[in-house]
Amino acid sequence: MDKYKVRNNVRKLRFHNNELTQEQLAEKVGVTRQTIIAIEGGKYAPSLELAFKIALVFGVPLQDVFSYEPEGDEK
Amino acid sequence: MSYQEKNITVSLVSHLLIGVYYLSQLFQMQQAGGLVAAKVFSLWAIVIVAIIVVNIIGSILTNILLSIVHAIKTRSDQEERFIEDERDNLIGLKGSKVSYITFSIGVLIAMLSFAFGQPPLVMFSLLILSSIVAEIIGDLSQLYLYRKGF
Repeated sequence: MDKYKVRNNVRKLRFHNNELTQEQLAEKVGVTRQTIIAIEGGKYAPSLELAFKIALVFGVPLQDVFSYEPEGDEK
Repeated sequence: MSYQEKNITVSLVSHLLIGVYYLSQLFQMQQAGGLVAAKVFSLWAIVIVAIIVVNIIGSILTNILLSIVHAIKTRSDQEERFIEDERDNLIGLKGSKVSYITFSIGVLIAMLSFAFGQPPLVMFSLLILSSIVAEIIGDLSQLYLYRKGF
């Protein structure tokens, strides 16, 4: 099986939500800003619960925020 | 540098200091004619108590100092969010795992030293040393994970 990676649109969604800052998003979902930075950079794959919380903040379904794609596929 | 990274840095520096103190005392004893049981026992007690006290007091003092620095910087009495989230917990667990593996290797080396004819004092001194080294490597691995992102 090919190697897959969790990708995300957090940065784009923040921008489209009144340019929500990383700190504001972190506060809303109850994590540190460093964790949001790690998620946006694709370095950390959040737990399912945190992923749902982030999707709830943006008011979109989970699959609009996170996707599971082969490692090589860069968008 | 995040709050957790500062906390780990304080812990790393104190563990390094304890390690240097422990090794210097052991070398002094060796040069003065070998390990003496009474002196070695008191050294172990000092080192073990120091590690426990440093871990507790160091964490409390870092918290207080960071709160003061935050209050001075922002000139507000609003508390900074010193929260620990799932990523911090995972990094902590990975650090503990690295510490555990290091300590296990240390225990093995200590046992081997005894099996190859070294006195029990050397074996136990190696055990204490491996616990300090395990703490240091655990701290370093956590700092590495924080710097890398995860």
